[in-house]
Amino acid sequence: MKAKKWLASGVTTMLIGGILSGCSGGSSGSSEGSGDNVEITLAGWGGNPSETRLLKEALDSFEEKHPNIKVKHEVISDQYMDVMKTRLIGGEAPDVFYLDAFEAPALIETGVLEPLDDYVTDEFNVDDFEQPLLEAFQKDGVTYGFPKDYSTLALFYNKKMFEEAGVEVPTTWDELREVSKQLTKDGVVGLGVAPELARMYYIAESLGGEVVKDNKANFGDEKVIEALQPIIDQRNTDKTAAQASDVGANWGGEMFGQEKAAMVIEGNWAIPFLEDTFPNVEYGTAEIPTVNGEKSTMAYTVSYVMNAASEKKEASWKLIEYLTGPEGMEIWTSKGYALPTRKSVAEKLGFDQDEKRAALVAGASYATVWANGVNLPTIMNNFNNQFVSAFLGQRPLDEALKEAEEQANREIGE
Amino acid sequence: MKKRRTYSKRSLREASQGYSLMAPTIFVLALFIIGPILYAFFLSFHKVQLLGTATYEFVGLSNFTNISDDSRALRALWNTFKYVIIVVPIQTLLALILAATLNAGLKGQSIFRIVYFLPTLTSSAVLTLIFMWMYNQNGLVNEILSILGLPTYNWMGDPSVALIAIMIMNIWATAPFFMVIYLAALQDIPDSLYEAAELDGANAFKKFIYITVPNLRPVTSFVVIMGLIGTFQLFDQSFIFSGGSGGPDNSTLTVVLLIYQYAFKSLGTMGYAAAIAVMLSIVILVATLLQRKFSKEESLY
Repeated sequence: MKAKKWLASGVTTMLIGGILSGCSGGSSGSSEGSGDNVEITLAGWGGNPSETRLLKEALDSFEEKHPNIKVKHEVISDQYMDVMKTRLIGGEAPDVFYLDAFEAPALIETGVLEPLDDYVTDEFNVDDFEQPLLEAFQKDGVTYGFPKDYSTLALFYNKKMFEEAGVEVPTTWDELREVSKQLTKDGVVGLGVAPELARMYYIAESLGGEVVKDNKANFGDEKVIEALQPIIDQRNTDKTAAQASDVGANWGGEMFGQEKAAMVIEGNWAIPFLEDTFPNVEYGTAEIPTVNGEKSTMAYTVSYVMNAASEKKEASWKLIEYLTGPEGMEIWTSKGYALPTRKSVAEKLGFDQDEKRAALVAGASYATVWANGVNLPTIMNNFNNQFVSAFLGQRPLDEALKEAEEQANREIGE
Repeated sequence: MKKRRTYSKRSLREASQGYSLMAPTIFVLALFIIGPILYAFFLSFHKVQLLGTATYEFVGLSNFTNISDDSRALRALWNTFKYVIIVVPIQTLLALILAATLNAGLKGQSIFRIVYFLPTLTSSAVLTLIFMWMYNQNGLVNEILSILGLPTYNWMGDPSVALIAIMIMNIWATAPFFMVIYLAALQDIPDSLYEAAELDGANAFKKFIYITVPNLRPVTSFVVIMGLIGTFQLFDQSFIFSGGSGGPDNSTLTVVLLIYQYAFKSLGTMGYAAAIAVMLSIVILVATLLQRKFSKEESLY
């Protein structure tokens, strides 16, 4: 196996060597006058075919309005952030690209993103954006990206199973635990859980604890542990919860679609997935049951940002302005694969009236945005690693989280 | 007395011709192999931030000393060690047995040669995906185990078996490659030795133990060293298996996966990642030297 790899890497090395010597200095910076044609690059991860079609539609309409700007759309299908960071270091990054809020603080700190405030005109109407989503891309009052869309989490429940068990959709977490007991039977669990920080964050903080404090891990806090304990108990004491791999599924949406869980907490992305893959499952969505009497959920958002090293900043801004403006956003979110971050667009498209999406839209006002400081990736990694072992009942939660917190803070350093 | 070397015009010209012919290769080697190695050494003594404005801050040996109180690094090292200790002997033995059966002159052995060799042709990424599908909670492996009345496992979600799942997968994929090497070596052993042993009344097992195995010693040494290097560098399988996280519960975290995580997933730890990489290369070097010392491969002839 190793020998094969050596051979392959040898061949690639030679090929790359050949290419490098062949074309050095291919892209010289063209100055952009008003009449000149410019081509800018937009990079992102791929979506499903329908999403790709919507983006294409938005880009076509942009090019129609700005005939001198051509947009080259690049799709990075795997390990998006690794590829992007490497290309940013190598000076080969695209002009405009997607950035997840979760990765934003670290990237802003390094100075590779262009501040956008100077480009913004009154017409663009920044106040139209949902504030928490916009704040995820701001630092010290400077905006580095405009959120293109978002999704929140909601409770997905299987209507048929609920009817058979004769239970109501839970509105508090205690009710959810009770309902789960009646729904668990014949290889079906009540609640499908994704035991990871990105999905547990709002629960972890529901008793007033802080997961991240001063850019350091703080999830060993008693309040955080107490808040998360019910999830662990539900799997190991009640035996009414499971993670996807326990039942042979890859993620919550699949677990729910295969009818191995009566409830899951998933986001907007699960709706088109269920329509495409499991059209026969009758389900409804509801706002996440209140934890400790308060409504809460997570919000995940992605923005368009501009590469600070770009040589075509005016044109790049035009693109961001269009795609996050009312017109472009309406095209992009029109089919409901993603929710619009502009209040005006959300109103116009009426997703708050949509049967499946109303619960998700309602969550936007009180959601916790999945982003917190530059060290969240490290904190998340350590949390996830240890939380699973507690979730599987191999060790007590407090011991696991305290150890993970120590390890995370050691990695973060001073 | 000091020796002085003198260079005649002729030998200088010859040397320069030689080097100019080798220049493309030397260039490529220097740029893509030697350069990165030196750069990694350089990085391992610095705290590095590459993104944005690159900064290098000299920190001496602290990257190396930090490894010893990084519980994830120790866990990764332990996982890798466990993996090497279990996989290398099994895959070597399996390769030897497979090769010996193929060399025994059974009927249809060329068909078996092809069948045995097939796993090697699959790319390790595809292989991992196929195995992940088989390891699924409702997958083929558990199905067979339950038919046989054996306990089933959550191969991918249970930290206690996840690494074993990868071991099985890798042994299955790598043993045939070494089998081919053994097969070539087996055919080099002179028949006269076997004939002589037969005259002395040795049975098949004794012939295997007293003739085949000793004669294969140099090849075994090669196979073990390649196996050591390959298993110490385990990355792709555990990366795909765990989605890059090394989970569940750090159970599939290997040293190379950890290097990847520090280099790309968190900012500003590139130097630390380089330090772990340097440490790994030292570990492999030591393991290889130990192996050579104990195998005494030259003593045969």
